[in-house]
Amino acid sequence: MCTFRIILLTFLFSLIHTSPLWAQGLGDAGPSLVVIEGDQEQGYRLMKNGQPFRIHGAGGSKYLDVLATNGGNAIRTWGVGPDTEDILNRAHAQGVSVTLGLWLGHERHGFDYGDAARLESQRAEVAAAVKKYRNHPALLTWGLGNEMEGIQNRGDHPQIWKEINYLAEMIKELDPHHPVMTVVANVNPDKVNAAITYAPALDILGVNSYAGAQNIGKNLKAFGWVKPYAITEYGLPGPWEVPHTAWDAPIEPTSREKAGFYFVSTKGILEDQQQCLGAYVFLWGSKQEATASWFGMFLPTGEKTPRVDATVRAWTGKWPANRAPILKEVNMPMSNQKVKGGQYIAVQARYADADGDALSYEWEVRRESTDRKVGGDEEAVPELVEHAVKVLDENGNALLSTPTQPGAYRLFVIIKDGKGSGCMDNWPFWIQ
Amino acid sequence: MKKWMILIGCMTMMGAMLQVSAQDFGDFSSQTLTGKAWEAYGKGNFELALTYTAKCKEMYMSEALKQEASLDAFPVGEGTHEYWALNDVGTCLFIEGQIYEKQKNITQALEVYAVVVNQLSFSQCWDEKGWFWKPAEASAGRIKQLEFDSLLD
Repeated sequence: MCTFRIILLTFLFSLIHTSPLWAQGLGDAGPSLVVIEGDQEQGYRLMKNGQPFRIHGAGGSKYLDVLATNGGNAIRTWGVGPDTEDILNRAHAQGVSVTLGLWLGHERHGFDYGDAARLESQRAEVAAAVKKYRNHPALLTWGLGNEMEGIQNRGDHPQIWKEINYLAEMIKELDPHHPVMTVVANVNPDKVNAAITYAPALDILGVNSYAGAQNIGKNLKAFGWVKPYAITEYGLPGPWEVPHTAWDAPIEPTSREKAGFYFVSTKGILEDQQQCLGAYVFLWGSKQEATASWFGMFLPTGEKTPRVDATVRAWTGKWPANRAPILKEVNMPMSNQKVKGGQYIAVQARYADADGDALSYEWEVRRESTDRKVGGDEEAVPELVEHAVKVLDENGNALLSTPTQPGAYRLFVIIKDGKGSGCMDNWPFWIQ
Repeated sequence: MKKWMILIGCMTMMGAMLQVSAQDFGDFSSQTLTGKAWEAYGKGNFELALTYTAKCKEMYMSEALKQEASLDAFPVGEGTHEYWALNDVGTCLFIEGQIYEKQKNITQALEVYAVVVNQLSFSQCWDEKGWFWKPAEASAGRIKQLEFDSLLD
């Protein structure tokens, strides 16, 4: 009897720990089963639970309702943490699948791929994450690392690629039901060759690419990659890819130009139906990187921007129910110029709203960011200059009072329609 | 009235003569014509640029099409220069597309971009930054951008 109780308790205990869905209250949803069908000749297809799955994805874990109601079906994360289970559950509730990121160390952050003890520790972390989340119904693929191959070199270090292969094999042993993808920063012949040579266990190559995202497929073919790929981050050209002012400040595309980039890239990427499994637009959220408006597809206060609308249009052929305001006309005499401090300059930015919503305009001046990083590392929001703009009317006319302290600044305008959509643009200037 | 007509006619002829005198086809090579087209485009002299692109097409389009037909992938390295007609005509058509866009002649821009994408897909253009870029890829991007612009306006 005592033995029977022990067996029963052990069984119940193991049930709880191997069936997190039951514990999470996800109803009858079982683990997802994801496979890649096809070949290079016929083309590849991702199949989730027996159904074809083309990734119309987004990088980020917020605003999943906006994603799900507008033609998006997947998100991508970069690592596991305390909120991972919540993200998976929220995604599942919206019918959104997840490429779950498993963070791998970067040499530029001090990780040493020649250090056996650190590799062991990293392997243990990856294994623990796979065991913990492999049965979640929202899981689509594993995202093994992000740009860990190195973004400031050729990205072909054999030691790193052999470790990626080791981890890919380990994951497949622990979880044979979800493909393994690694994510690299753009491609070049050496990097692709290293992936082919040292990491044959990979199922998918994920590529983060900005200015040239729609051409990645052709480049991969030319470099000899014959397996499927996904674009794991794309959007508009990064600050490193655009013209700069005389004082080396990147000139940010306007909201209209940005929306165009997202539309063109999304359509261009998805044209490859042979080898491309889909793509994740970046960033389904907001962040400070060079500016507060460069990569985020949402305002810091949560409003969706025209970039979301453009992506949705490319995904579905339809606009979202409520469109975001978008820049129509602009007159910024100080834009990209060196000007005197302590003077008034009349500025104008007019926005169009396809729904005819009343728009609110907020203006602010901030110092140019000096906390610039690489690879998307966290940056501090630059200092706000108080009382630098006097609003003249509700039609986008304002008076800029130029700061008296010499240096680099940006004038921002933030537009909101009061219905969940908005827009932000900025123009750099220098005070002599 | 008659005097005015004569005056307008003379001015038109002088304009045409000035235009012709501004043209200098150099050695008439595709490379020279393309270089001059870029230069005129960069200076905002769109009509002059179009005379160079037109001459390049007139003289080298058939050779460009032959070179395109001989390819099933992008040539690489030094071999790229062997496809000089393809590269230069593809580039000239892309320049034309850019000019038509600036002139708000979107229909004609779309037409020339489509020719690059469909008929000169392996053309390449050397960028002074140190690499070849692909007029067909750039044209495909412009077609999508113009589609997006038309959706907004």
